Amino acid sequence: MRTDQSPADFRNSPETAATTAAIEVKMVVYKQDLPPGGGFDPIEWAKRTPRKRMGGFTQFFAFVGFTTAAWVAFARNKAKRDREALELRDARIAIEPFILAERDRAFLKHIRKNRDEENELMKDVKGWETGTLWGEPVYHNVRDRFKRASLEEIITHMSPKDQDDFLWDKMKR
Amino acid sequence: MPFTNQDYLPSYEELTVPELEITSAVFRSTAHHLGKYCDNVSKEFMLCRSEEGDPRKCINEGKEVTRCAFEFLGLVKKSCLAEFNQYMQCIDHSGGEMEFKNCRKTQATFDKCVKDNLDQDRPELGFFGKVRLHSSNRPKPTPSPHILPERAPDPPDFSRKTDPSKGPQNW
Repeated sequence: MRTDQSPADFRNSPETAATTAAIEVKMVVYKQDLPPGGGFDPIEWAKRTPRKRMGGFTQFFAFVGFTTAAWVAFARNKAKRDREALELRDARIAIEPFILAERDRAFLKHIRKNRDEENELMKDVKGWETGTLWGEPVYHNVRDRFKRASLEEIITHMSPKDQDDFLWDKMKR
Repeated sequence: MPFTNQDYLPSYEELTVPELEITSAVFRSTAHHLGKYCDNVSKEFMLCRSEEGDPRKCINEGKEVTRCAFEFLGLVKKSCLAEFNQYMQCIDHSGGEMEFKNCRKTQATFDKCVKDNLDQDRPELGFFGKVRLHSSNRPKPTPSPHILPERAPDPPDFSRKTDPSKGPQNW
């Protein structure tokens, strides 16, 4: 308070008003950070080893047990699969003669058809003999074995569509 | 064609027989029983086919095989049609390879019917896969003789050594 001010002046001065207002504001309560009651826990400096669940023997025998069980399961599974495969193979072997017999007949028919076709096609050509190249046999066949016609000779007289089907079927096999 | 007019090829009449017009599911589902029923003729045909290596010579055996299959399938059709159809439907819808493993129940029904009516058991596992013996009346084929040309003359005697330093000695 300055000496040249009356008490009334002092009360009404702007500084005093500001100070009074400041006092009326609720003050922030500070709390000092202190250690917990009873103090901090002691510092852990020693090594902590985990609790042991299984010993070496237990682990080893567990491994052996699991592996053995897996082997047994695998062997049983494989035997089952083999049995099923053998059954399928049996079925395939069993029906082979029936398919082969039919196939042989169809093949011989086709060969005969081809020969007839060639006779018909080349009847006006002088000096042509069916199954030979101008009288010279195509194969050296002293022992009279069954001649295996080449693919081109088999499909020559087919229609283009049949040729296509035949080749596609052969390719799939 | 490599076949001349002198080569033997069977005629169409010889080659035309009623063929088995059945689908793969039928073949697969009857395979074991069919194979067992026609075991002898099948073995005869396959032996002929492998010995001769010539389809022309095994036409009759092949016809016999097809006839036997007709006979068996006719018997099945006569006595076990319902059981067979059930089994065949199951096989037909049993996976990509028409496996047997999914159809044990219908298989047992079919087997029982075949056992009752045709008195035939399902052959044991591996019956067709193992090596089996077959005695045949057909004579063993002998290939026609292979006539070879005359033998070439022996080469000269090279064992006598010559001495080049003495000049030519064979003149």
